[in-house]
Amino acid sequence: MFTINIWVLRGIIAVFLIAIVAATVGSFSVFQRSTFFVSGIAHGSLAGAALGIYLTLYLFPVNPFFTAILFSIFFAVAIGIASHRKEDVDVAIGIMFSFSMSLAILFLAMIKEYASVAWGLIIGDLLLLSSEDIIWMLTTVLLILLFFLLFRRRLLFSIFDPDGAESMGINPYIYETLLFILIALGVVVLLKGVGAILVYALLIVPAAAAKRFTATLEGTLVLSFFISLIAGLGGILLSIFTSVAPSAYAGLIATFIYFLSLLKK
Amino acid sequence: MSKYIEVKNLSVRYNGTPTLKNINFRIEHPSFLVIMGPNGAGKTTLLKAIMGLVPYEGDIRILGKAPKEARNFMGYMPQRDRINTNVPLRVRDVVLMPLLSRRKFGISREEVEQAKRALRFVGLEKLWNRNFLSLSGGQQQRVFLARTLAMDPQVIVLDEPFSATDVATKMKVVSLLHRLKSTKTIILVTHDINPLVECTDKVLLLNREMIAFGRTIEVITEENMELLYGARVPVIRQRDVCYLVGSDTHVHH
Ligand SMILES: Nc1ncnc2c1ncn2[C@@H]1O[C@H](COP(=O)(O)OP(=O)(O)OP(=O)(O)O)[C@@H](O)[C@H]1O
Ligand SMILES: [Mg+2]
Repeated sequence: MFTINIWVLRGIIAVFLIAIVAATVGSFSVFQRSTFFVSGIAHGSLAGAALGIYLTLYLFPVNPFFTAILFSIFFAVAIGIASHRKEDVDVAIGIMFSFSMSLAILFLAMIKEYASVAWGLIIGDLLLLSSEDIIWMLTTVLLILLFFLLFRRRLLFSIFDPDGAESMGINPYIYETLLFILIALGVVVLLKGVGAILVYALLIVPAAAAKRFTATLEGTLVLSFFISLIAGLGGILLSIFTSVAPSAYAGLIATFIYFLSLLKK
Repeated sequence: MSKYIEVKNLSVRYNGTPTLKNINFRIEHPSFLVIMGPNGAGKTTLLKAIMGLVPYEGDIRILGKAPKEARNFMGYMPQRDRINTNVPLRVRDVVLMPLLSRRKFGISREEVEQAKRALRFVGLEKLWNRNFLSLSGGQQQRVFLARTLAMDPQVIVLDEPFSATDVATKMKVVSLLHRLKSTKTIILVTHDINPLVECTDKVLLLNREMIAFGRTIEVITEENMELLYGARVPVIRQRDVCYLVGSDTHVHH
């Protein structure tokens, strides 16, 4: 009984951390219209995590969380540079998307427990997180929060009005890259909990819905937090009573709230 | 400190393609410069060079300083179509944005006062808490003007501040600019010089290179308009004032 509680408790902590990422990184990605970037990076981090698992199983132990972060930051910076060099940013993302997805399949295919590992990365395991996972997630979220608090004003200025920001000595390119890196970190936090496919559901969908319910910046951030939280907690709750992964319910709740937001206005 | 804004042998290239060639002019501080030219003439590019936002060849001096060193006493209002309309902001967030971007935390009463004063100046103090995106194009433009003024710049650079305004708003903004003119240098891009004729000191006609530069009455001539737009634009002259006929529907080349 006690062990079950510990798993559930870790799941709840993870959901809180995910909600913080949705409120900060998620909202700003929606403002910046870089949500396709988010799904691109989700697959980049999938390849990284798969590599980490492969290395741990057959060569030397390395936390998949760490390789996932390395990969997603690498892809984020590469996409940032490509779009700065005037490649259409969606094309850059699409190329990285294909590249990282192919890598992910390759790495997963080299793992003997292929199916279960792949399944874990694709749909996540909110109720199977180790305390080491939680520490990684917590550290990453603290890092995101730190950067967000320090640079949120300049970040917002560059997103809203790059020319105006630059005329004030703020280099919008640097802040765009910073946002990309924060997205990369955020995606990895979500990957472990809800899996690559549903990163979008808990990172972007809450912010997209929140933005339709409120017209202010603070409102959007606060609401994204709660929508993501409700989706995550609801997912865990429903998962306890059925045998379906929590991420499925969480994704359904988040998209359902989004559909509700469409009724407004 | 020199009392001029000076541009010497200015050229700008985008990826090797020459966009501005050999631009030379000098205006006093304070004074009012209007820049005109067809779409794609390089007007925005010239403003960006003056603000130090694009690499250029040649020399630009703003009251003796290079553009990047002059930023803290310059205010730039970009063309409104470059704004990201996906960010939910209140009017006050927009006006306060440059003030707040100078530091990481907090907000002082002085900054709020500065922002409110600027908003009052453009006649929109009642909209302080309103959703910026719900305003009309003309109101948004005035909020941007307030944002630029809130920093109390010496040199104000405005890119098409009238592009979304109706006649009444346009006249309001013009009279605001009139009030600023005795202390600030204003550099303004527009397709419609008529409402500005009375406050303009110098006009620069631009189409990749300088077509003409000088006092309004000397520059706004039918010959120059034909050179600039490649089409006839009638000019009406009344003593020392001149007007373009039908310049609201500006000419494309
Ligand atoms: N960042 C850029 N990279 C490449 N070319 C550019 C860039 N910005 C502008 N140009 C090109 O330079 C030329 C001048 O552009 P600019 O925006 O300065 O014109 P403009 O006179 O302001 O036009 P409009 O009246 O439409 O605002 C155009 O041909 C444009 O396509
Ligand atoms: Mg322009």
